[in-house]
Amino acid sequence: MTTSSRRASRRDQHRAGASGARRSARNTLIAYAFLLPFLALLVLYHTWPVIFGTYLAFARYNIISPPEWVGLDNFRELLRDEQFWSGLRNSLKYILVVPVIQVLSILVALLVNRPMKGIGFFRTAYYVPVVTSFAVVGLIWSWMYQQEGPVNAVLGALGLHRGGSLLNNPATALYAVMFVTLWKGIGYYMVLYLAGLQSIAPELEEAAVIDGATRTQVFWNITLPGLRPTILVCSLLSTISAIKVFEEIYVMTQGGPAGSTYSALFYTYSRAFQDFRYGLAAAAGLIIAVISILFGLLNFKLTRGGRADA
Amino acid sequence: MKSSLFDTVSGTPAPTQAHARAAAQLKARKNRRDRLANLLAYAVLIVIALIMLYPFYWTFITSLESSGNIYQAKLLPASLSLRNYAEVLSGTTVPFWRLILNSLIICTLGVSLTVTLATLAAYPLAKMRFPGRDLIFYAILALMVLPNEAGLIVNYITTIKLGLLQQTHPVLDALRQYFAVVLPGIASIVGLFLLRQAYLGVPQELIEAARIDGAGELTIWRRIMLPLALPTIVAFSILEFVAYWNSFLWARIMLPDKNLMPLSAGLLELSGTFSTNSRAVMAGAVITVVPILIVFAFGQKYFMKGLEGAVKG
Repeated sequence: MTTSSRRASRRDQHRAGASGARRSARNTLIAYAFLLPFLALLVLYHTWPVIFGTYLAFARYNIISPPEWVGLDNFRELLRDEQFWSGLRNSLKYILVVPVIQVLSILVALLVNRPMKGIGFFRTAYYVPVVTSFAVVGLIWSWMYQQEGPVNAVLGALGLHRGGSLLNNPATALYAVMFVTLWKGIGYYMVLYLAGLQSIAPELEEAAVIDGATRTQVFWNITLPGLRPTILVCSLLSTISAIKVFEEIYVMTQGGPAGSTYSALFYTYSRAFQDFRYGLAAAAGLIIAVISILFGLLNFKLTRGGRADA
Repeated sequence: MKSSLFDTVSGTPAPTQAHARAAAQLKARKNRRDRLANLLAYAVLIVIALIMLYPFYWTFITSLESSGNIYQAKLLPASLSLRNYAEVLSGTTVPFWRLILNSLIICTLGVSLTVTLATLAAYPLAKMRFPGRDLIFYAILALMVLPNEAGLIVNYITTIKLGLLQQTHPVLDALRQYFAVVLPGIASIVGLFLLRQAYLGVPQELIEAARIDGAGELTIWRRIMLPLALPTIVAFSILEFVAYWNSFLWARIMLPDKNLMPLSAGLLELSGTFSTNSRAVMAGAVITVVPILIVFAFGQKYFMKGLEGAVKG
């Protein structure tokens, strides 16, 4: 009885224009109070780095004295710096890992999408490298790659390799690191593709089978187009992280041997945290950012914007 | 066989016996093919599982050995001993227990703050009307695609300018540096989207009824939104726990005090100081992975769901 009369009086209040406006102003205040802590940190650690980092790219800065505007000096220095170019070349070479990781993840996702006994175990097993830190993964693989280690044992059994560690050989080191990226990444993209596969209506595939389509035809004409939005997301993610490859290299090779795994972001890291040349490092970071945006756009174009019906 | 099947369909009704026989034959052939395909699929699945798991297994069995050819490929340990684990856990060369404590503090601080902020901020974006809501939402969306390459550098500078790396008082220093490790990751855009998505699924009538009953927004958030979004909150917490437990780069770049590093970052330190005994470092690696595997094993279902949600959201 009391609640219903209270409800009625609140409804009346709500109808009254003046108190309604007061209510909505209060409402706005409450909404922003909920958002404030999140937004404050977001601006400080996500927006500010973009703004200040862009400014630093045109400045000389060592933290101790205030930044000094130097125009395009940093970029001119980068263009002349052979080390920057070799880092950039290695980062671009690293994109080779993208098509391999995407094709393999799609195949693995198709495989674990089959309704078979014990499939949950395999899905979990493939995901274990994903949840392991690069610190651990990098260390494990640098042991696996040792001269007498398991990798060479397998390669030897296949008649492919004799002699030293793949990580110590400038001709193979980058590819050895790429393999670790591939090994750690497949489970991650597998889960994304699995989600994509499960969003394709099974009626479509069944209808095609009834119409007499073979398995291969179903895959090329229905499954693959249905996966296109997922392919866009996944290839975008893996292209961008390939250009920014850093952690694997930091743990396994530190850019060596003979600079063969020195990536663009490794250049940025060593300029900032070893030479304390934050402006130069920021300029290199800006160039890497622009390149990742360009490759992002290329991804959109190649997957036709990820539209399933295109 | 195919023609007999056609007869039953188009021609005069054939004897049902023949029909059944043909159907059974077809089914048997299909079953045989399915069994063969399954067998082949299992073979491939097992090979991939070996490639994925062997490195972990190999590290584990090697860490149990006390002597012999360390890096050799093997299926069973040549000798069994816990000496390497004892060496790491005794903490004589590396403050191992301190590293574990650091990791636990960093994870607790990081996960609780990240989840709290995301659950709070997602509420008005999903369920309240106020000026600027869409603008804020799209601005955050845009931020996701903005390049963040200078992030490491500028965040380092910000951390110093905030005075988080000051050294004045041992306990305060530690506290400030733990915050310095977690702060850059706390505003999680992915988490905001996940939770907004979960909140959108809560019926609006429920919220309106609570408002009419005089419940404040904070009460609605705590009593209605949080319980109903619990599966997503759990999934997100697991994702964040794994992320904070595994983080090492930022901590290594920033922390001047080795004693305050989390386990993952400390492991790399370990590999330097224990360079004469790689088996001890392997033991350290095993100890670092175990908590993740436990959390992962218990939360696997939520974990996968959280990840799928992150893609759709």
